[in-house]
Amino acid sequence: MEVGNSVPAEAAFEPLLQFEMEMGTFLSEWQHCDHLSTYLARMISHNRADPVRHSNFFSSALNELLEVSFRGGTSSGQIGLSIYRHGPVERVQITFPCPAEQVPFYREAVSKIDRSDAHARYLDSISTDMAPSRESILLDLAINFDASIRIEESTSPAVTLIVDLPLEGLVS
Amino acid sequence: MSVTGLSPNFKVAFDANSQVFSLAGVVRPRSVDEIADSIAMLKQAIDDVRGVLYVDVKRLIQMNNTAFHAFVRVALDACRSRADLRVVIVTSSVVGWTTRMFGHLNQIEPQISVEVYDSTFYPGQSFVEDTSFIPILRTQTKMTWRHERSILPRHGLRPGIAMADVCCGIGDFAVLVQKEFQPARIVALDHSKASLAYAREVATNFGITDIEYTYGDASEMLLEDNQFDFVSCRHSLQIFNERELLLKELYRICKPGGRVYITNEKNSHCLGEPRAQSIQWTYNEVAKLFSHFDMDVELGPKSRRYLADAGFDDILVESFMVTNLDGDPQDFADVITAWENVYAGEMAVRRGDKPEFIERFRQGFRDHIFAALHPKGYAGWPIWVASGRKPT
Repeated sequence: MEVGNSVPAEAAFEPLLQFEMEMGTFLSEWQHCDHLSTYLARMISHNRADPVRHSNFFSSALNELLEVSFRGGTSSGQIGLSIYRHGPVERVQITFPCPAEQVPFYREAVSKIDRSDAHARYLDSISTDMAPSRESILLDLAINFDASIRIEESTSPAVTLIVDLPLEGLVS
Repeated sequence: MSVTGLSPNFKVAFDANSQVFSLAGVVRPRSVDEIADSIAMLKQAIDDVRGVLYVDVKRLIQMNNTAFHAFVRVALDACRSRADLRVVIVTSSVVGWTTRMFGHLNQIEPQISVEVYDSTFYPGQSFVEDTSFIPILRTQTKMTWRHERSILPRHGLRPGIAMADVCCGIGDFAVLVQKEFQPARIVALDHSKASLAYAREVATNFGITDIEYTYGDASEMLLEDNQFDFVSCRHSLQIFNERELLLKELYRICKPGGRVYITNEKNSHCLGEPRAQSIQWTYNEVAKLFSHFDMDVELGPKSRRYLADAGFDDILVESFMVTNLDGDPQDFADVITAWENVYAGEMAVRRGDKPEFIERFRQGFRDHIFAALHPKGYAGWPIWVASGRKPT
């Protein structure tokens, strides 16, 4: 099953890198989110027109996805991350195990991104939430990074978020 | 202060005199508790200020949503309880996501506004970033490269190193370095998008794909600490008004044991024969003209002091003279013509100089050209090269 917002027709995305880590290891240290996003962003940005700024932008977005996985993931299984490229767009596909009862919440959060009141809900979240919700983080990616986001579910209790980030256009 | 448990690069400060609360570096806490001290400092700053609180995020390299919500919440609550308070968030166009994220706040709270720090970074920017100047910049680099290619190895440039060329302009120096010295990595940074676009085109035309051109502010670079073996900054210290700040940044990105290499002029020492007196008068006036715009084109011989004050050791200084005998004298003449057009035609006019002064001012440039093209003439443009090692 797939739920998502404004993802263009499937294009020929070229794989850039794949990364897997035991979820227990990932969850052992919060700084893994920062370190991984910084390191991977540098790797995939080196041949962009402005590698330094592309890396900075990409790291911001990727870190939020890793933090979502960190906060919502369970310690069994693996976190998997794949990054692809098509023209000015990088696609991040992140899969992490999570409690089965949590999956509908991710599905609902993704489904709301395309609604006409998304911007208003994002502002409301900044204005009132003490801490960012899963939904407001996805809204942040959609609004501030022009991301297209969809979700894939499998039979196992895991969530796969597929996030297309057209950052090359934003950076230059 | 830096906050324990977070990135060591995260810095928070409040300057009560200027009412500026600044956040810099990387802040990605797991919970608000980790930034409690910083939040408390912001609350205290708000209590202390009258009128406007400036929140400087120009050097905020990364901030996660947890930190963003926490800091913004404090600012929003303060505006709701204090009608007299205005909050101005100062972002940088270099760090694109900050302008986007903070840009929403004005829609939530009209007392909060966002200013993009992107106007004039240094006084002469509008003069030197004029794209009509590009051909002459290329000629200048061609003329100085004849000397610098043999000078650079003495200052630490060698194959296989990581190098940054800060204030790279149209990027031709980086291309020449890449071809001649094959460093493992070159990052070339400038704040002119037009110059960088030109630089990328030139590199592409030369089949060079491994120079990382990046848009940035030399005094607030996104580049991390201790990354480069060799950092060059050519003809730029002299046109920045905040020279210490620029040197601090060059020092920061240089590896311990690496070297920072700067080149600068002393314009009053430009010379020529015949018509030496007229030439010398004009170049003395060039120095005064730049000084009026808070630039120091007499900086060359001061390089040693600047590098020493910035903390470098093993400082090397040398000078060379670009002359009409180096190559085609017409190249030299073309450069002087461009100087005349900008210095006499634009800068002196903007200073409000009288026509008779400008005419005499122009005459010195014309005499310099005369000397350059005279079959028995000699014309020179002196450059000072200096480098210092960052202590280990």
